[in-house]
Amino acid sequence: MKKLWLFLSVSITVLMLNACTLGVNSSEDSITIFSERHYDTDQMLFDLFTEQTGIEVNVIDGNADQLINRLENEGEDTSADVLIIADAGRLHRAKSRDLLQPVESDTLFNNIPSNYRDADNYWFGLTKRARVLVYHPDRVDASELSTYEALTDTQFEGRIVTRTSTNIYNQSLMASFIEIMGEEAAKNFATGLVNNFARTPSGNDRDQAKAVVQGIADIAIMNTYYIGRMMNSSDSFEQEVADTVEVFFPNQETTGTHVNISAAGVTKHASNLEGAIQFIEFLSGEEAQSSFANANFEYPVNEAVEVHELLSSWGEFKAQDINLSVLGENSYQATIIMDEVGWE
Amino acid sequence: MLSRLRRNVNIFSVVSVIAAVLIVVPMLNIITEIFSTPTPAWIHIRDNLLRGYIVNTLILVGFVAVFSALLGLFGAYMVTRFEFKGRKLLSWFLILPLAMPSYIAAYAYADMFSYTGTIARFFRRLNLPIIINMMNMEGAIFIFTLTLFPYVYMLTRSALSKQSAAFSENARLLGANKIRTFMRVVLPLLRPALVAGTLLVVLETLNDYGVVAYYNVRVFSFAIFNTWENLGDTQAAIRLSGVLMLLVFAIIFIERMIRGKRQYSIHVKGRPIPRIPLKGWQRFVLPSILWIIMILAFFLPLAQLIYYATLTFTDVFNMGFIFLIINSLTLAITATLLTVIIALMLANYNRGTQNNFKKGLLKITNLGYAIPGAVIAIAVMIFFIDIDHALFPLYRLIDENSPRLVLSSTLIMLTFAFVLRFMAIGYNSIEASYDKVGTKFTEASYSLKASKLKTLLQVDIPMIKHGLISAAIIVFIDVIKELPLTLILRPTNYNTLASEVFRFAREEMLQESAVPALVLIFISSTLIYILTHYKKKEVPINVR
Repeated sequence: MKKLWLFLSVSITVLMLNACTLGVNSSEDSITIFSERHYDTDQMLFDLFTEQTGIEVNVIDGNADQLINRLENEGEDTSADVLIIADAGRLHRAKSRDLLQPVESDTLFNNIPSNYRDADNYWFGLTKRARVLVYHPDRVDASELSTYEALTDTQFEGRIVTRTSTNIYNQSLMASFIEIMGEEAAKNFATGLVNNFARTPSGNDRDQAKAVVQGIADIAIMNTYYIGRMMNSSDSFEQEVADTVEVFFPNQETTGTHVNISAAGVTKHASNLEGAIQFIEFLSGEEAQSSFANANFEYPVNEAVEVHELLSSWGEFKAQDINLSVLGENSYQATIIMDEVGWE
Repeated sequence: MLSRLRRNVNIFSVVSVIAAVLIVVPMLNIITEIFSTPTPAWIHIRDNLLRGYIVNTLILVGFVAVFSALLGLFGAYMVTRFEFKGRKLLSWFLILPLAMPSYIAAYAYADMFSYTGTIARFFRRLNLPIIINMMNMEGAIFIFTLTLFPYVYMLTRSALSKQSAAFSENARLLGANKIRTFMRVVLPLLRPALVAGTLLVVLETLNDYGVVAYYNVRVFSFAIFNTWENLGDTQAAIRLSGVLMLLVFAIIFIERMIRGKRQYSIHVKGRPIPRIPLKGWQRFVLPSILWIIMILAFFLPLAQLIYYATLTFTDVFNMGFIFLIINSLTLAITATLLTVIIALMLANYNRGTQNNFKKGLLKITNLGYAIPGAVIAIAVMIFFIDIDHALFPLYRLIDENSPRLVLSSTLIMLTFAFVLRFMAIGYNSIEASYDKVGTKFTEASYSLKASKLKTLLQVDIPMIKHGLISAAIIVFIDVIKELPLTLILRPTNYNTLASEVFRFAREEMLQESAVPALVLIFISSTLIYILTHYKKKEVPINVR
């Protein structure tokens, strides 16, 4: 019996400790953001926002789909005021599930070009990233490269790597093609690309660059910011990989390079509407933009802000001229096509 | 009728019934979904993908089950039946891979064999033209086998160490050779433990998402997440979970059918089998195999993580990091205690029963482990939001400004999900222990008019202490490394070591993820050390 009491008292102590470590976030003026982004520099930015406005910022991070599902389940009781997601397609999904609300803000309209925000003002792009070709200069000459579509040519057989079809960035890439060239042609593109894969897709974007250096493949389709992040990796060998490969912006003569954004929207049931809008305005402003974009080697959407020197060293490029809402509208069809053509 | 009911109401039955109800209700939301009209996404999956998912799942689970059963059995047999240098060390070292979460091992291995990885660079320096791609089915089988075989090892070792010498000696006296004795006597007696261990491995494999997502191995858990996330179709995802559950039940059913009505309880005085010293070439070769397994399963990925941690330690370690550790520990302890206590009640309630109601109840409470974490997470969240809505008037009574969501914004929701999910683990290892000790002593205690609780505390618990400790270790480690539930159900601003590892890995910052990963491994390893060494102080049970 003595042991039982000891056991019980230990249990109760643990429970109490448990209760104590629960986040203390009952500040009067605060906003909660559901965010897919989580960089240490972001936290500094949030602290700066708190300093300027007195509004505390609570962050819940998770991947896009988990956050959207959670928002949907919590309904009008949600604690979230702002949703930040690194894919226009998923923001569109949040919008179409009635989880966001439109915002009228001249600050946002001025800071953000119209094709990088929702047509009905449900979400606003904050940073841009391009999905480009990364190649090994010893095995590929830049003159051989032209467009995404050209990668389906037989001369590239067994020379291409990219991530899996479950990856958001590839889905959005396909979604943009459905918009630009139509479903039939997009499917042909996917079929041709899969035929030229050097291996069954696996790994993350960094692994694609490594596969190119390793000689598994010659060309990788990947996002620009991973090159920047590998250059600043704590692993010197990753830095070497990033230094070896070259970046090519495809479709410059034609439809433009595929661009995706990370963007923010105010949740439909935000309890601190004013704070939420203020927060997004703050992130789109010149002061926050360079830090917010540079944290991840992305392009700021605010055109008044200078891009990171690494990105400017690649020069300017022509982006796809589409409203990014279509990435969301077509993402389901894109997934189906990729499954059908056997893009694993 | 009433008196019969009264006779059946006791601490075990009450806890069991409450547990079953609490587990079933959240699942009802899910089950009703299965009977609604199929969505286009489901038709797409059924026509294009389902076959592949089933085949891949069977391949993965089949190989992992066979390999980990072999490894676990081999290890357990070696350390319980033979004497060799380093045996004592190995006997607990072989549990250590459990402290290495599969997804962390997967990240580390993929990295070591990638172009910039230590092993790939080592090969290049030696001018060996070897390129090993870990990120495929073979890699996943390798990772799961090495990180999960300790489940089999622990349970079979505990059973082997309790196996009486009398059986094997009699078999040998009757002229059976070593192999025949092993196959016909030792192995059948080990069955419950071996099966329980392998079943745990199978269920862990089916539930994992970290490894299969990273290695792009298209199995069910991958499909469920993918359908839920990429197609955004919860209903089709739930249907897939339904198919997965059928698969799991089929496996369990086949096992029960083969086992039949045979009982494995042994009513003999336990005299442990003396260990035979290894001789000749065996002295070096057999222990070396165990060491190689240890290095591959634990020390090699650990060394990689330590190296990365030295690169990133200063960036990652700060005050917030200490809170991460406290969070992980308290959460895991709470969930473990609850799970083990309830599992113990369930095991008592079901001991030696032939009652169909009891059996059904048990199956329900053990259901959680067969359901992917993500599905449980959705079910539990909907359930708690419903409760909060129902209790809202009460909240208002207590505090006028009370928000609507109270329970669902606390750790209670996450803890509940852990208990639901890991009940089967606790239960299976307790059941295996009960199978071993039989019901004689308990019955004797009851016939001496001792109450159920008193018998539990003074008779049963001392006898199955070992099993309880095993159960606690496994549940604790499972909770502390669990991902999907933690990610989805944790309260605002509540991070754990596991969620932090995942966050860094998701951001492709493997080097940074090494620090929280190491702490996680360190905590689990220490716990394994304490618990494996604690038993030595245990007073031997006088069974005579």
